[in-house]
Amino acid sequence: MAPRRAAVVGGNRIPFARSNGPYAHAANQDMLTAALDGLVSRFGLAGERLGEVAAGAVLKHSRDFNLTREAVLGSALAPSTPAYDVQQACGTGLEAAILVANKIALGQLDSGIAGGVDTTSDAPIAVNERLRQALLAANRAKSTGARLAALARIRPNHLVPEIPRNSEPRTGMSMGDHAAATALRWQVTREDQDALTVTSHHRLAAAYDRGFFDDLLTPYLGLNRDQNLRPDSSLEKLATLKPVFGRGEGATMTAANSTPLTDGASAVLLASDEWAADHGLPVLAHFVDAETAAVDYVHGEEGLLMAPAYAVPRLLARNGLTLQDFDFYEIHEAFASQVLSTLAAWESPEFCKEKLGLDAPLGSIDRAKLNVNGSSLAAGHPFAATGGRIVATLAKLLAERGSGRGLISICAAGGQGVVAILEAAK
Amino acid sequence: MQTQTVTEAPRLGKLYLQAVVTARLGGGGALPDTELVLPDQVVDPGHLAAYVRVCGGSRRDRLPATYPHLLAFPLQVRLLADRKFPLPLPGLVHLRNVCTQHRPIATDDPLTLRVHAERLVAHPKGAQVDLVATAEVSGERVWSGRSTYLARGSDAHGAHGATAPATVDGVAAGPAVELADDPAAAVWRIPADAGRRYAAVSGDVNPIHLNALAARVFGFPRAIAHGMWCKARALAAVEARLPDAFAVDVAFRKPVLLPSTVHHVVRRAADGWDFALLRPNGEGAHLVGTVRPPADEVLPAPR
Amino acid sequence: MSDWYRDMTNSAVLGGLTRRLGLPRPAVLRRHTPGDPLLTGPALVVAAGTGPLVAAVSDLLRADGAEVRFEADGERLAAVVLDATGAETPAELEEVRTALGPALRRLAPSGRVVILGRPPVEADGPTAAATRQALVGIARSVAKEARGGATANLIQVSDGAEDALASTLRFFLSGRSAYVSGQVVRVSPAEVPDAADPTTPHAGRVAVVTGAARGIGASIAETLARDGATVICVDIPAQGQALSTVANRIGGTALQLDITAADAPARLAEHVVERHGGADVIVHNAGITRDKLLANMDEARWASVIAVNLEAQLRINAALLETAGALKENARIVCVSSMSGIAGNRGQVNYAASKAGVIGLVEATAPLLRERGATINAVAPGFIETEMTAAMPFGTREVGRRINSLSQGGLPVDVAETIGWLAQTASAGVTGQTVRVCGQSLLGA
Repeated sequence: MAPRRAAVVGGNRIPFARSNGPYAHAANQDMLTAALDGLVSRFGLAGERLGEVAAGAVLKHSRDFNLTREAVLGSALAPSTPAYDVQQACGTGLEAAILVANKIALGQLDSGIAGGVDTTSDAPIAVNERLRQALLAANRAKSTGARLAALARIRPNHLVPEIPRNSEPRTGMSMGDHAAATALRWQVTREDQDALTVTSHHRLAAAYDRGFFDDLLTPYLGLNRDQNLRPDSSLEKLATLKPVFGRGEGATMTAANSTPLTDGASAVLLASDEWAADHGLPVLAHFVDAETAAVDYVHGEEGLLMAPAYAVPRLLARNGLTLQDFDFYEIHEAFASQVLSTLAAWESPEFCKEKLGLDAPLGSIDRAKLNVNGSSLAAGHPFAATGGRIVATLAKLLAERGSGRGLISICAAGGQGVVAILEAAK
Repeated sequence: MQTQTVTEAPRLGKLYLQAVVTARLGGGGALPDTELVLPDQVVDPGHLAAYVRVCGGSRRDRLPATYPHLLAFPLQVRLLADRKFPLPLPGLVHLRNVCTQHRPIATDDPLTLRVHAERLVAHPKGAQVDLVATAEVSGERVWSGRSTYLARGSDAHGAHGATAPATVDGVAAGPAVELADDPAAAVWRIPADAGRRYAAVSGDVNPIHLNALAARVFGFPRAIAHGMWCKARALAAVEARLPDAFAVDVAFRKPVLLPSTVHHVVRRAADGWDFALLRPNGEGAHLVGTVRPPADEVLPAPR
Repeated sequence: MSDWYRDMTNSAVLGGLTRRLGLPRPAVLRRHTPGDPLLTGPALVVAAGTGPLVAAVSDLLRADGAEVRFEADGERLAAVVLDATGAETPAELEEVRTALGPALRRLAPSGRVVILGRPPVEADGPTAAATRQALVGIARSVAKEARGGATANLIQVSDGAEDALASTLRFFLSGRSAYVSGQVVRVSPAEVPDAADPTTPHAGRVAVVTGAARGIGASIAETLARDGATVICVDIPAQGQALSTVANRIGGTALQLDITAADAPARLAEHVVERHGGADVIVHNAGITRDKLLANMDEARWASVIAVNLEAQLRINAALLETAGALKENARIVCVSSMSGIAGNRGQVNYAASKAGVIGLVEATAPLLRERGATINAVAPGFIETEMTAAMPFGTREVGRRINSLSQGGLPVDVAETIGWLAQTASAGVTGQTVRVCGQSLLGA
């Protein structure tokens, strides 16, 4: 049996909030449930049993070991809907969508929801490692005496908690530090980064103004729009900001042309064409194919966020496409410099020859087709929620256009990159 | 050389205390013609886990190449702390360390450790000596290590005026690699208690690692990180890409004052890895090292 | 919303005190819950004049499980139905006195008085017209005399509309009309589609409710869903979270839409066609207030109220009528007007304009819909207990609550039930009318 294509029926997200903003007291489970409920209400799925819900969070409390299933149980979906957690750093949302889409393509599922959520406000704080070891030892102890002895090892300074670091475990460097090194390598200028940032804000604001997000977003806790959005963003204003990553002359990355810490959640409804038709629901687009690449940034082989540059050519080759065969490019703006470095790599004959083994560079893309409704620089980037935001946005863009093809590219921590192709429903 | 079998690993704290009490500056005399043997040491899994947790890397069914050094270290100290040893133990500075893994060592291999001192030579700042250790499993040598120490202000009488084979800025030459211009592969934020934590698993309770006051006695502004901890952590960063047999050679150039932020640079070489710990401000290296195929004798023999 | 005064006067301890003081005692109204019988006791069916509908009414009551009496014998009555459709002379009105008067004394709490008459405009000459119009005065006065939460209403049954009467008669007899009293509704001849199950009159139908996120709109959505409809809950995007909650609770769908946007009518029409194959019921409930004395009224307050409350309804109706398949056969449009639109209100010139405009809209649109078998009506809520009224100053709120025959505010569900009745396919004979849900308020009476 030839695989069928999974349809994107629609999506929903809550507006993205800045860290310690309106969602400061919302837990991952709260936000994911809200995103699911908004999706359920949009498509009249209350009480419905879906094939599965796959979602995840990058920053997760240990109590959230079954985060997605718990969110489903708290949602309006039928409690008989199974769920599981996925985690692939910032690729989580898209990877979850790929998982569900693949199962639909194989006929294992008729419908499913893929999603993601993250909070940097309600982040897990771990107990001090030595306190943890002492408590674990006390827990393992077989006698009261041994337990007391273990507990007696606790010292006052063990009570200082450990706040999670936004850094790569193997390098101790923040993602921004890594991106700054890559920006230097590709000689991405401050001006180009700021211009991309301003464009992102202006395009997202315009999309809101024309009601594009009316059926992609459900307000949450009084927030109606992405809190990070600055419709009046300008090159002049951005030029005044001091760099926050990198050093000295080569430092180009500011708080504006990097995504801020954000809270939010998203969900996408995927289904077979038949299921959608049976439920009177639209098909916005189809999943065509997806690819995930990883690079060795630990041993200095490649930049941390450059994996999409490797994933895309493999995906193009498998599908007999060129980089120019797309009507929309959704390249997640982790940092403006990440987008620009990736584009520069694809334009570079050396990179394409030496690293990708191609005879000719992939070439440049029509920037007018890039992130046409803005992206993470404006919307914010609650890590695992970004994939769902992008899949739903691109699917709706394709549905509005009525034809065409879109490319999604998302870089992720750990030197990974998740990319996918969607096509408008025919 | 006479062999002296030790049945139990010596207690390091006691040895240090003894060494401080009996220390003689610039002692002199010849190296003891003694090989200490500690037979059939079985690795304590809990201790290995603690070591891995402190030094990075993953808990596996093989020993990290730096781990046997830990087992041999008490024997080294026992030699060094001996009243007749020509150099004083307090204030000894670790200049260089080579660990050679001849084959992977399983965590349950019983190891017989042998330690002797050799090559006492003059150094521009005093005298240096090598402590050589080997580990055997059922008579097969599976690991060897060579630690070069400097005793500032001491004379190498026993070496009859010989000088060290080569020097770089007054330090014994280590691997010849230059990585200052490479971007950092990782940034280490080393906390103030790093020395105390490594001391707790290694037993190396040399006071210069434990607190600033003690370190000042020996001329350091603050406590300094153990060289072997830096080495173990740097090696752990490439542990998944190491061959079965290799030598990891490290020269300790500038001490890592605690707390500290250092840049770890790593570069693939034709037949191994080059790495370094650099000061973030570009002012030199704390440590440079290489991973290479094992050689029978890593250092040239003393002249 | 708690009505402290009603609760106090109905409490065991303070109730006696308020009775001795001669204070009014607002009754706890009988409201419909699924499974309730049409009536909680026997119904008396009497006639003034020939009583041509007595037999049909009796059959309907019995079919709904009610006991029917033709003479009062001292027991408490749940309802009195007076068939005055045969009364054509003032003299025959005497029979209203003799038939209705004694029965009222035995009316149970939340009892129902329904008078059936003929429309005066269809009368043959002044005598008949005067007699028919007299029934209006009778119904409204009986409504004011009624106690214990009882209501009285007049149904003007056009000649030939007898078969279209059932849904309206049921509504006025049932707990669904708890807060509707002193009203006059005309039933015209109409093709009534095959009778739906009266307990789930909206089964299988698709309803659109605007302003469904909160208050009355949420109640309308819930009530229609309870009675079987699939409800498309519409509200502005900013209300999305509450809207989603309502939609999920009732198994409906949420559509975030600013109905004043230029493309909103087209988007709504497209949505109902693509997702639901057309709508059976449209409830124009969305409305806003931007109060200010006219002298101080700015353009924004004026324009936004007119845009949301009136223009959007006009534009959406036009789009639904133009878009093939958007409105199904026998569609029902129900608009929400307001007492302010009837009586006017200080500080609400803009709001009153929009809500009076709705009444005109309904009257003028009804003929356009007739050939489709569709109807359009309005409800005009009086004082309804909502978040909005809860925020009123105490004095204003208490006056608002008490100046009606039931001495209390209505609930959102009372408006919703009234809309549910007008939205039934069986209510085909009721169109172009505005029904007040006000407990017979003194305002605009």
